[in-house]
Amino acid sequence: MTTADTTTPAIEIQGVGMVFNGGRPNEVTALTDIDLTVQAGEFISLIGPSGCGKSTLMRIVGDLETPTSGAVRVNGKDPRQARLDHDYGMAFQQAGLFDWRTVSANIELPLELMKWNKARRQTRSSELLDLVHLADFGAMRPWELSGGMQQRVAIARALAASPGLLLMDEPFGALDEMTRERMQGELVRICAETGATVIFVTHSIPEAVYLSDRVVVMSARPGQITDVIPVALGERNEDTREDPTFFASITAVREALRGAPVPAVTGSNSVDTS
Amino acid sequence: MATTAPTFLQKPVDPARSNSGRSGPSALSRFARRTVFIIGGIVAVALIYTAVKAMGHATGGTWPFTSMPLPFSTDDVTMPPVMDIVLRFGQPQRTGDPKNLTMWILEAMLFTFREAFVGFIIGIIIGMAIALIMLRTRWLERGVMPWVIVSQTVPLIALAPVVVAFGNQIKVPLFSWQQWMSVALIATYLTFFPVAVNGLRGLKSPTPLALDFMRTNAASGNATLWKLRMPAAVPFLIPALKLAATASVVGAIVGEISAGVRGGLGRLLIDYSAQYLSDPSRLYCVVIGAALLGVLFVALINVTDLLLMRNRPREAR
Repeated sequence: MTTADTTTPAIEIQGVGMVFNGGRPNEVTALTDIDLTVQAGEFISLIGPSGCGKSTLMRIVGDLETPTSGAVRVNGKDPRQARLDHDYGMAFQQAGLFDWRTVSANIELPLELMKWNKARRQTRSSELLDLVHLADFGAMRPWELSGGMQQRVAIARALAASPGLLLMDEPFGALDEMTRERMQGELVRICAETGATVIFVTHSIPEAVYLSDRVVVMSARPGQITDVIPVALGERNEDTREDPTFFASITAVREALRGAPVPAVTGSNSVDTS
Repeated sequence: MATTAPTFLQKPVDPARSNSGRSGPSALSRFARRTVFIIGGIVAVALIYTAVKAMGHATGGTWPFTSMPLPFSTDDVTMPPVMDIVLRFGQPQRTGDPKNLTMWILEAMLFTFREAFVGFIIGIIIGMAIALIMLRTRWLERGVMPWVIVSQTVPLIALAPVVVAFGNQIKVPLFSWQQWMSVALIATYLTFFPVAVNGLRGLKSPTPLALDFMRTNAASGNATLWKLRMPAAVPFLIPALKLAATASVVGAIVGEISAGVRGGLGRLLIDYSAQYLSDPSRLYCVVIGAALLGVLFVALINVTDLLLMRNRPREAR
């Protein structure tokens, strides 16, 4: 989970701005003057109110949008090149699995696109099914699984090509609280096993704090980074959720989101998801 | 009917409704249930037909207890008795003919089916090609779609002689243009339209999320087409194929009539309607044969549907 000792940062964002419909009456400034450097192996959460441009920022990193100003480097490359090199794995709020493919075939899709042969793909997909604890479900169809299971398949699919960089846009947003906490635990474990760098968009303060090395707090209109809060929680496990440092970090993120310090809250109140 | 009723009333234990989505017996029981409904429907139509006829006969051609005349005649020439029509199938086409009428109609159905099926297949290919062209860019869609729609407003009867005349001009070595091929092309004309329109909708149906996913994984345009857009279009194409199947039969029959092709249902319809007054039941038999051909064609599509959609969620079916 901690920063790897590489010289090239995984992501470098410099002075990035994004204006939609530039020059027209419905012009919207989604992002202004974003600077952020992410080290390889780091877990970064983007948090902020709706419309603060956190998803847009993630999409810019993933070359799904082109910024109107500024520069982005991913593993020292242009994002487009990084995309063509299959450096990204991506998971969204909806699992977005393909109905007509089995669970295994869904996981193998990125590998098919990389022209892996069938035997290699099957070996890899069974590894991944083990990783997300769905070993017995490979032959089933996505729509036969529960929402949480589908989301695990989507994460396995994102991990299929062992991408160095995982981009996750509220991947647990549609799950119930219990499933969500279990999935967070699994994500922490998977990241520890794969050493992937993660950009994680979320609305939930505890989720951001639990998962991240650093929480990037953003504000809306125009979207910008107001604060970057390091989280020093060390190894995550279920006890982490009871740790005073956990609550302290939650408070810090909440204050940053409100833009002004607020009186310290007691532990039992602060576990809600905002 | 009474003994079969409980089988299709057992809704709660119908395995087709369960979560698993695919199982052999469910398809079979559905099939059995459907067969019962179809036969019941045919019997009902025959009964209503007979009842209307009996009513007209009893009142002398007016609505019961009024002097208002019925909007149609119920005599035996206009509405031959059901049993006459049924028995007509087993009689010779005309006196002295060794083949009975059923053989004539079956042969004509086969002949027309060949034209309709070839036209249907070519129609699918052309329809999908048009859908793919329209998919490329917005302005191509805007430019091509009006022509696709306009094409369907041209009356088939106006078009058929042109197609036949063009076909007869084709002179390629080792290949001789057959009349039935012109008819197949006329059937194509009705077939490609639903395939193009629904095919385009289907190809455009993937969510932005699915398209983003393909893009993130550096999928080529071809890979996106074959691994995402085409499979996503299948549920949209199935209803289009059902429409196209019936339309191709209609197209083939109309094409036969306007091209003057012998051997198919179109020719029988023309011949028998010319001799309608002397043998009305015979025309009804051909009409039933034509309807049956359409039904069988759609049944063929339904089998394809089951095969293609067996792995999809129930809501999509």
